[in-house]
Formats: sequence, structure tokens, C-alpha cells
Amino acid sequence: MFHEFAPGEEIILKRLLQIVAWTGVAALGAVALSTIALHRGEPINATWFVLAAVCCYLVAYRLYSAFIAAKVLALDNTRATPSERREDGRDFVPTNKWVLFGHHFAAIAGPGPLVGPTLAAQFGYLPGTLWLIAGAAFAGCVQDFVILFCSIRRDGKTLGEMAREEVSERGGLVAHLAVLAIMIILLGVVALVIVNALKSSPWATFTLAMTIPIALLLGVYLRYLRPGRVLEASLIGVALVLFVVVAGQWVADSPAWAKAFTMSGITLVFAIIAYGFAASALPVWLLLAPRDYLSAFIKAGAIFSLAAGILLVRPQVLMPPLTRFVDGTGPVFAGKIFPFCFITIACGAISGFHSLISSGTTPKMIQREGHARFIGYGAMLLESFVGVMAMVAACAMTPGVYFAINSPASIVGATPAAAAATISSWGYPVTADTMTGLAHAVGEQTLLNRAGGAPSLAVGMAQIFSSTIGGDRLLSIWYHFAIMFEALFILTVLDAGTRVGRFMIQELGGRIWKPLGRMNWMPSILLSSAIIVGAWGYFLYQGVVDPLGGINSLWPLFGISNQLLAAVALVVATTILLKMGKLKWIWVTLLPMMWLVIITMTASYQKIFSANARIGFLAQANALAAQIAAGKVAAEKVAEAQRNIFNLRLDAVVTAVLAVMILVLLVEALMQWYAILARTREPALRETPYVATQWAEGD
Amino acid sequence: MREAGRQFQIVLRSLWRGLRQWCGDSAYETYLACMKRRQGREVLSPAEFYVEQLNRKYSRPNRCC
Repeated sequence: MFHEFAPGEEIILKRLLQIVAWTGVAALGAVALSTIALHRGEPINATWFVLAAVCCYLVAYRLYSAFIAAKVLALDNTRATPSERREDGRDFVPTNKWVLFGHHFAAIAGPGPLVGPTLAAQFGYLPGTLWLIAGAAFAGCVQDFVILFCSIRRDGKTLGEMAREEVSERGGLVAHLAVLAIMIILLGVVALVIVNALKSSPWATFTLAMTIPIALLLGVYLRYLRPGRVLEASLIGVALVLFVVVAGQWVADSPAWAKAFTMSGITLVFAIIAYGFAASALPVWLLLAPRDYLSAFIKAGAIFSLAAGILLVRPQVLMPPLTRFVDGTGPVFAGKIFPFCFITIACGAISGFHSLISSGTTPKMIQREGHARFIGYGAMLLESFVGVMAMVAACAMTPGVYFAINSPASIVGATPAAAAATISSWGYPVTADTMTGLAHAVGEQTLLNRAGGAPSLAVGMAQIFSSTIGGDRLLSIWYHFAIMFEALFILTVLDAGTRVGRFMIQELGGRIWKPLGRMNWMPSILLSSAIIVGAWGYFLYQGVVDPLGGINSLWPLFGISNQLLAAVALVVATTILLKMGKLKWIWVTLLPMMWLVIITMTASYQKIFSANARIGFLAQANALAAQIAAGKVAAEKVAEAQRNIFNLRLDAVVTAVLAVMILVLLVEALMQWYAILARTREPALRETPYVATQWAEGD
Repeated sequence: MREAGRQFQIVLRSLWRGLRQWCGDSAYETYLACMKRRQGREVLSPAEFYVEQLNRKYSRPNRCC
């Protein structure tokens, strides 16, 4: 008969089984990681990427996040959270941890983790994949988790407020300005990704344009017909959006309609600027909110489908682990793996922007302190997984095709034949016929010179999806579905970001002249909307007219500003840990902070001062100026070249300003830390006092 | 078998509830329940609450890069 275990024995057995299971997961992860790291020659199956990522995430969550929760932060489930103490049914709403996880993930998941890894694939699959996994586990998740915890303990205060209270008054101002700066650069860059995906593509342009009247329709429905019935309105909207994806094909096939929706880069720039202005100045219920609902559903659906597609198709990864471009001569963007792989990947491994969400809505809705581990650390792991999937999708296509889509014409040549010859000469064979055939198969005129990540990711996704449903017949539909999905949620970032930027400018303006700070005063709304749209619109315009395609200079600028914001968040987190008396565990936030400072400072220095004209803004400006002086630039192109020189110098100044901001904050923080460690100042922690929870344990 | 069916129903119901909470479909119901507990306050209509909630939500960073 069965042996009956005594209670003590049962616990030991359970513990033993857990150890065996977790050792198994860790061993499987180690095998998968070494397989993708050491593999050479034949293509490798994408399943290894999924296995490596998932096992590492599980181990990191089980061990590292548990250690941070217990030892470093000492999460306390007996302490009432802001949602309990200040429950108001509006901002402070106690929310189930799974629902809040979905909420938080939908807020942090943007286009960054899709675009960054796709661009970083130019180094090969290995550097990007390793950083996506390690960066998330040791930096990105830690940042999101710790900032969420800090904000929960301070009634949901924002990063800027915490910087002001815990670091210094000046620290708060730097954080505020850093957020505004990153917002402007971010919006310009993501808009450039849309322009590069839509230019000369009537199908994609029509589909995206139609999402505007669909959003307006939903806006009126949700405001007047069925107030707040988000689910039914979103389902109607999603059905309409899927219909316009298919209808785009009819538009592309009709010569008259195709002509109307075939737009140049410059036309698209002005259309997107006008859209951003309208979304910022119009009532939020009319355009911005309904688009956001649509985007949330389509985003969740597309990410889930991509994961299912990769698991079902298990594609071969054709990109080598390392390409020849690790030497810094890459066509997509210039610069070596260190620091540019880290700067380019950005959001999939660590994103400064997440600290704004972790210190925004989420801390006001969390039920228990203990949930912060699952929501803060866990949601970022999922975001990193999205990045790994994007890397797989980009690397599953032939490397020659990847480089043909992502390389600017000024490097590989403008015609298909010239581009194919250049790319083949690098050792990544591709023919002009392959590119033309692929473009026609996805319903486009051309796929060349579309840097920005969106089209190559869409081709990768379309190939994976069509292997599951529809085969080659549906390739074009899947491609345009993927483009629509990316463009839709980039536009959501664009309009929501523009509106927040408008509020920040109004707030700053109000300090100079009071009426400017009145949020409902129309002249102030129009002026601040024009300023924020003008600022990111300038970067967008600059990117479109840039002879190197814009992404080459602007994506690193975006990466630098994003990682600088992450450094700001980690400086605040480290200061708070120090004040909490956690000196022993300070390395948890201090090491990722130091790493971020090192990569952003190195990247900033290289982007400003590198003598290589493809990397350094000033070197490139000087090279252009020398060409004009030597009479090598045609008379009609001189004005354009001078404008490019101005833009390059402006980029150098912006990079320098960002770098100085973080240095100022660092000095402020170091002074604080020194004072605390030397005991010349009492560490004044601005936590909300402890209040015991009234909720039963199971609530 | 009947027990399994009942369990399945419970799972489906909580998934549905979670989905409604996630997308904001049940926000007004949550607000009403909260207001009921704090008697004596003026309660907004569904349309007023919807617009007020959106204005608050979209005046701070709520979508990431």
C-alpha cells in the first residue's frame, strides 16, 4: 500500500520537488542559451530563442524578483495601499492583480520593443537577444518594480515629484525637463517610423487614414449613444479596422484611388503633424480615447498571434549570430555593439518611460504591496519577450532581404539592381528580382529603403502568419495587417504623447504667465499644442529630408534620451534605497544605473565628437561644409546641404543638453548620498506613514 | 461532469469580468459602487463620468514608447 507521509516529511518532499523542477528549468535555459550563443553554420530554429527567453524569465522571476521583494524592498502586505486608503472610484480603484497586470502591460508596451530589436538585428541575432534577456532581468524589470514600490509608498506620486522630494529641488526640475525632452524626440522618431512605412504605399496609407473616421465614429458612440460601453464599441471598431485592411487592396488596385493615397514622405509629414495638432486640441473623447481603445485590443491580439505563430511555425532563424557590422560600419545605423546595440534595443530591455507609468496610474490601483512584484517585474519580462519575438521575426527572413529593406539609398544605391549588388557584395546574397517579387507579393511597389523597422518586421510577421493561415495568397493581407497594427499604436503613442506634452508646456508656461497654465483656456491650448507639435514635427521633418534616411541619426538620439530617463529613475530609486537604510543591497539599482550612465555617456560622446562622419554629428556637418567649400555640391543642392548641416549641429546640441542634464542630477544625488553616508544629514524619507490594511488576507 | 461544467462557468465569468475591468467597460459600475459606500455625495451620470475619467487619464503619461 501507499506510504503515508508525516506532515514534516511532506513539506521536505514538496521542497525537494520544487528544487528539482527549478533546477530543470535553469538547466534547460542554460542549454538553450548556449545553443543560440555557440551555434554556427546552419540556420537555427526559433524554438531555442523562445526556450532560452522563457526559462531565463522564470528563473529571474522566481529568484531575483523574490530576493528584491523580500530583502531589498521588504514588501509588506499588512500595509494599506493608496487604493485602499484613498479609494474614490476614479483614480484610486483597488484592482485585481491579473487585471492590473494587463492594464500595466498595455500601458508599457509600445512600438519600441518591436522597432529596437529589428534595427539591432543588423549586428546579428546574438547581441540583441542576450541584452533583451539580461537587460530586462537585471535592469528593466528592477527599475519598473522599484519605482512602482516607491510610488505606492508615496500615494502614487510621479517620478518628477519623487525626484524633487527625495533628491533635490533641482533634481525634480531636471526630471521634468528630461521627460519633456524625451517626449519630443520620441514622438518625432516614432512618427518617422510611420512615414517610412506609409510613403508610396496607397494600401497602408488608406488603411491608416480610415482609422481616423472609425475612431471619430466610436468617439460619438461612446460619448452620446452608449456612454462608456467600451467593449462593444471596441469590437465594432476592430471589425471595421479589419475590413479597411482588406479594403486597402481594392484602393491599391484602382488607379484613381491609388493615386489619391500615394503620398510622398513630405506630404505624410504634414498630414501627421496636422493629425497630432488636432488630437491634442480636440476633446479627448472624440479622437484620442477611441483610438486608444482600438489600439489596445489590436495590440493584444497581434502580440498574442505573433507568439502563437512563432510557436506553431517554429521558423528557422537565417540571420547569423554575428554579422560583419559588429565593427560599426552597419548600413541601418552606424556604431559598434558597445554602446549602440544597448542604445538601439532600449525599451525591450529597459525603458525610462516605464518609470512614468510605474509612478502614474498603476500605484493608485494596486491592492497589495506584494502584487508589485508580479506587476512591476512580471510585466516588463513580458515586454522583453515581445522584443525577443520581434528579433525572431526580423531574423527569420533572409539577411539580404533584411538589409535591402532597412538600408538607406545613399548607402546601397537607389535602384533594386544597385542595392542588390551592394548588399550581395557584403556577403548577404539577394537579387533585384527577389526584392521586386517580394514587394509585389506583399502588395507594395517597393520595399527598398524603408528603414525604421516597421516594414521589415511586417514582412517577418506576414511570413510567419501566412505559414499558419492562408499561405502566399494571404501574404499581402498579413503584411498590411502588421503595418496597420504597428502604425495604429504608434499613432496612439503620438496623440497621447502630444497631449501630455501640451499639458507639460502649459504647466511650464503657467509659471511665466498665469493664464497660460489654465488647461481649458483655448488660446493656451492652441499655443501649447502648436509648440509641442512644432517641436517633434521639426525632428520628423529633419528625419525625412536626411540623406541617410533619418533613422541613422534619430533612433540613437531617441535611445539615448530614453536610457537617460531610465538613469534618472534609477538615481531616484538608489537614493530612496539609501535613505531606507538598505546600503547592503544598494547594488540592485546602483549597478544598472552605472551601466546606463556609462552607455549613454559613451554614446553621447561618440554621437557628438566621433571623427567618423557616419557616427559623429559634428564630423558629418564639417564634412558637408567642406564639400560645399570645395565646390563639390551642385548649386541647387547647396541650400539643402546647409539645412542638413544646421540639423546635424542641432542634434549635437540636443545630445549635449541631455548628457548635461543627467550629469547635473548625478552630482545632486552624489551630494545627497555623501551627506547621508557621512551622517551630516538625517536621511529624511518622504514615505506615507504606515496604516494597517482593513482587508482580509484573501481580498 | 456537472461540477466540471460549473467550474468552467466560473472561469468564464471571471474572464469576462476581468476583460471588462481591463478595458474600462465596467468603470462606471465600480464608481457607482464606491459612491454608494460614501453616501451623500453627488453622483455623476454615465456620460459625465466617462468624459471626466478620460480627461484625467489622458492628462498624464499613459502610453509608452
